[in-house]
Amino acid sequence: MSDKEKDSQGLDGKLLRRIIRFLLPYKYWVALAFVTVITAAFLGPLRPKLVQLAIDEHVVQGDMDGLQRMVSLLFIVLFAEGVLSFFNTYLTQWIGQQAIYDLRHKVYRHIQKQSLSFFDRNPIGRLITRVTSDVESLSNVLSAGVVTILGDLFKLIFIAYFMFTLNWVLALVTLAVLPIMIRVTFWFRAVVRDQYRETRKQVARLNSFLQEHVTGMQIVQLFGREKAEMARFEEINNDHRAAQIKTIFYFALFWPAIDIVASTALGLVIWIGGLRALGGTLTLGVLIAFIQYARQFFEPIRNLSDQYNTLQSAMAGAERIFGLLDHQQSLPESGSPVAIERAKGKIEFRNVWFRYDSAEPPSDEESEHREESWVLKNVSFVVNPGESCAIVGATGAGKTTIISLLLRFYDIQKGQILLDDIDIKEYALQDLRHVIGLVLQDVFLFSGSIEKNITLGNESITREMVVEAARLIEADRFIDRLPDGYDQNVRERGMVLSFGQRQLLSFVRAVVYNPSILVLDEATSSVDTASEEVIQRALEKLLEGRTSIVIAHRLSTIQHADNILVMHKGQIHEQGNHQQLLAIDGLYRKLYELQYKEQEAA
Amino acid sequence: MRPLAHLNKFYWKYRWLFIPGLLCAVGSAIFSLMVPMIVRQAVDNIPIFVRVYAPLSDSSVAESLHGSFFTTLLLYGLIIISLSLFSGVFSFLMRQTIVVASRHIEYDLRNRLYDHIQGMSRRFYIDNSTGDIITRATSDIEQVRRYIGPAIMYLTRALVIVVTAITVMFIISPRLTLFAIIPMPFLAVAVFFVAHLVHKRSDELQKQYSSLTTLVQEALSGIRVVKAYTREEHEAKSFSRESDEYRRRMLDLAAVEAAFRPVFILLIGMSTIIVVWVGGRLAMEGAISIGNIAEYIIYVALMTWPVAAVGFVITMVQRASASMSRLQEILDSEPDVTDGSQTDTSIDRVDGRIRFSDVNFSYKDGQNVLSDIRFELDAGQMLAIVGRTGAGKSTLVSLIPRLMDPTGGTVYIGGKDARTIPIAVLRKAIGYVPQEVFLFNESIDNNIRFGDIEATESTVEAAARNAVLFDNIMELPEKFETMVGERGVTVSGGQKQRTSIARALVRAPEILIFDDALSAVDTDTERRILRNLKTQQGERTLVIVSHRISAVQDADLILVLDDGNVVQRGTHDDLVREEGLYANLYRQQQLEEEIEAIA
Repeated sequence: MSDKEKDSQGLDGKLLRRIIRFLLPYKYWVALAFVTVITAAFLGPLRPKLVQLAIDEHVVQGDMDGLQRMVSLLFIVLFAEGVLSFFNTYLTQWIGQQAIYDLRHKVYRHIQKQSLSFFDRNPIGRLITRVTSDVESLSNVLSAGVVTILGDLFKLIFIAYFMFTLNWVLALVTLAVLPIMIRVTFWFRAVVRDQYRETRKQVARLNSFLQEHVTGMQIVQLFGREKAEMARFEEINNDHRAAQIKTIFYFALFWPAIDIVASTALGLVIWIGGLRALGGTLTLGVLIAFIQYARQFFEPIRNLSDQYNTLQSAMAGAERIFGLLDHQQSLPESGSPVAIERAKGKIEFRNVWFRYDSAEPPSDEESEHREESWVLKNVSFVVNPGESCAIVGATGAGKTTIISLLLRFYDIQKGQILLDDIDIKEYALQDLRHVIGLVLQDVFLFSGSIEKNITLGNESITREMVVEAARLIEADRFIDRLPDGYDQNVRERGMVLSFGQRQLLSFVRAVVYNPSILVLDEATSSVDTASEEVIQRALEKLLEGRTSIVIAHRLSTIQHADNILVMHKGQIHEQGNHQQLLAIDGLYRKLYELQYKEQEAA
Repeated sequence: MRPLAHLNKFYWKYRWLFIPGLLCAVGSAIFSLMVPMIVRQAVDNIPIFVRVYAPLSDSSVAESLHGSFFTTLLLYGLIIISLSLFSGVFSFLMRQTIVVASRHIEYDLRNRLYDHIQGMSRRFYIDNSTGDIITRATSDIEQVRRYIGPAIMYLTRALVIVVTAITVMFIISPRLTLFAIIPMPFLAVAVFFVAHLVHKRSDELQKQYSSLTTLVQEALSGIRVVKAYTREEHEAKSFSRESDEYRRRMLDLAAVEAAFRPVFILLIGMSTIIVVWVGGRLAMEGAISIGNIAEYIIYVALMTWPVAAVGFVITMVQRASASMSRLQEILDSEPDVTDGSQTDTSIDRVDGRIRFSDVNFSYKDGQNVLSDIRFELDAGQMLAIVGRTGAGKSTLVSLIPRLMDPTGGTVYIGGKDARTIPIAVLRKAIGYVPQEVFLFNESIDNNIRFGDIEATESTVEAAARNAVLFDNIMELPEKFETMVGERGVTVSGGQKQRTSIARALVRAPEILIFDDALSAVDTDTERRILRNLKTQQGERTLVIVSHRISAVQDADLILVLDDGNVVQRGTHDDLVREEGLYANLYRQQQLEEEIEAIA
């Protein structure tokens, strides 16, 4: 959605109510905030009125004691306004932050609960924006927003009230400039918003140019493009400057304009007020009070126009957030799940059909096309407890999909996946994943220590268990060499773990979690020979005594497997152990012979 | 505030904006200060008019008297409006000069910074993260700009208003003035402290915001691991902690921000009350008029902002100073690879001979990356470098285009010490395909042309053909105009890598360097690319770093690197026969490739 559409949609009452519902748990505090804001809105305009009384009834009359009393009263009012204003600003922020906290939580948990097909469809960057800046955009509405708007409205009302009770003719004269002021303010908001959009665009251009060129500086230099890129930078920098200078123009115009309008009100008050005084219907004190009111009522108007803008931008954020919350894609969980502590480890795929993106059932004309998109077609196999199963095949044959399905990252369309002869849908997701250990090819490291990356924050895993597991996997050799050992932060600058080391870490992780079943995607990327040997040994230890499914790339892993699935275009082409497969003279045999011949040649 | 002295030359450069701008600031301030005087005149005169008019209201002169009072009062009103009009015009001009000048300086400063970092070599980019450099070029420059423009503008205006107002007030009544301005210094100091706290706390808040973002980013990027190990609850708890901390910091900030308004209200209000109180007594004594009270009330209101601005300006200057010294740090850093006194400017081209003579390379911390590398390559030959990750292969090839200079020994290109060849000449002779594909977020055509701006359409096409990319491009909806960059859209990783290859080929370089540049293409494509390069062999020297034996087996010379040392050298046939790293690597790679190839 473009910026323009977002801004032009205005205020949607239903959406607004839904935002405000997040304030419900804090309704008493909100009520208190209303009381304080309205009181403060009354006290501000009260002061010029008191000044009027002080002048007309005490100064002009020469009543020193009365003046003293009035000054004390003025001081109390002022002090009360200051305290209330502090209390109120803090209170509204406090309420807003509680609500924002709740909302952010809700959004985060919602996202985390979604199935992986959700993550396939939504880029991480977009999801981060939902949790951070979109939520943040509601912060103003939920904190100051509603309360402040009401406060400012009341302030305008009180100012008008005092003016009318003092002198209704002058009140009308002063208020005559109000429409002009509102017009100027809202005009300014509108042009500045457009201008800001342009400025933001230019800032973004500047930033992305810098981001790109600083990252790719080596390329610029290698290809001797410094001069040409400098010229392009100057151009972008120039556009940025032009946009900024245009913004200055509007600001330069706005502030004096407001001042002139306020002075016009003052000029009118002096003129008309003077004439009224001639008629004997106006005192000096009233005139002085009006001089102050003419300046006071600009502030609430400016605040209101600010609030209008924040509300508008909050609407866009709210719409995106609720769009996300309304879209439920987590996997359905069984109402009465079968309990499972440790699995015996029998795995069975029974006529499994699967394709990604199964959001809506295919229509008739589509179904033919859809036929092509099956990632797994009628896949069946059994892995008995303690056995190892190797999957081989080309990229895109469906190997990774099999392990994703076993962990129930996605639900299948047809067929059944069974663990210990029970459909995996019968287990609680938590329990199912608890008994299966997954080691991915692309090892993801979280920032934090080596230890944290192994335990993943599971406090029941002690340092001793970590060290022992590392020793078993022989990862201790490189960990001990790190400056901070197990406490080494893996994301610190200059601290880069090699691919092999990361792989070993993920093995250690699997060992400490001690799953009944191990699912492993063997790395294809070539690692150096020394690490290769260590990984090889580690792998053997890891697989020992566990049911395992391995996407295999190493001959030794394949040869030792009890069962080998040869995948081809989403189907199991051949299966059996090494010897059996050699005997059937198929895909696997060709593969093996190639390897065999090479070895003979070498 | 020393670092800010660096900016003086910019003030001089834009003096024709600053001088009139500051004069306008003075003009605007003076006109706005005249308004209260008129108000006082009016307020003092009205009772006189009333006194004169009242007894005569029934007489014949009443009408003409009323008429003249009418005109006088109208005149007061009009003068007030025109004074603020004049003040407004000057204030408009003030912003249009000073703030605009600050944008000009920002522009100059940013160009200078970019120009400077373009000259910096790799070491600089290792020491400074991309994020840091971008922060310098954006927010630090913005901080400095605020000092150049707004800060100076506010300060000038504040000085003029405060000095003039206090002078006028002093002439009217020294005693009332002394009392009325008592809250002013407190206001300036309070604003300074509050602004300081606000900045400090919002920096902390910002930090917390990025750590919250990082946490979300990680938890979502690693969602497979999180789900597989059922760490959702733990991650959600970490999230709560960060989110809670964010809320705490936000409320810390809210507390000081909430103090802002009350401080303002209290201190201005105090001034007004003092004026009414002390002024009221003085008026009763007849020392001043009631008009003076009205005048003072406006003066006090007029002074509030400028006085508060002084508080803001101090923090602005502090921040600008810190930012400027960060900028200066970058501007003062010297590139370590650059044309210098030893450059022989008479060299305008080099051929493809490469010789490494006892080349050593180590980082500052003494870690040895390359030791005594020695080899000689004729123009048109092919050199291959294999070895484990971290063996020093990339470092070795990056010494050829002088991305870094060796710490010992000499690299000769075209028979000349590389350090004597002008960098532009040296790099013009080299086509480099880096390990990590980096393309600009532009069309494929522009990305290939990046290698040679003047390339014709047919040379671009030829380069694409040689990189086995042409057919892929023609299948894309926009052909050569297809944008690369946007994640995962239309252009695959392999295609990107081949675009990066085409970019190097389009230069028709004397030396072509492939730093593990075939990792994202399949073996078949790799074979075709290498075959294309072969047909041109003899024209150009080829240096190829690879993990894959298949890519290097035809090389004239293969160097096997281990831990920065050449442990084996020879041709493929030599090395396969010799038991060692190479032979091991060769055997291990067979299965993987065959499995990938079969189905």
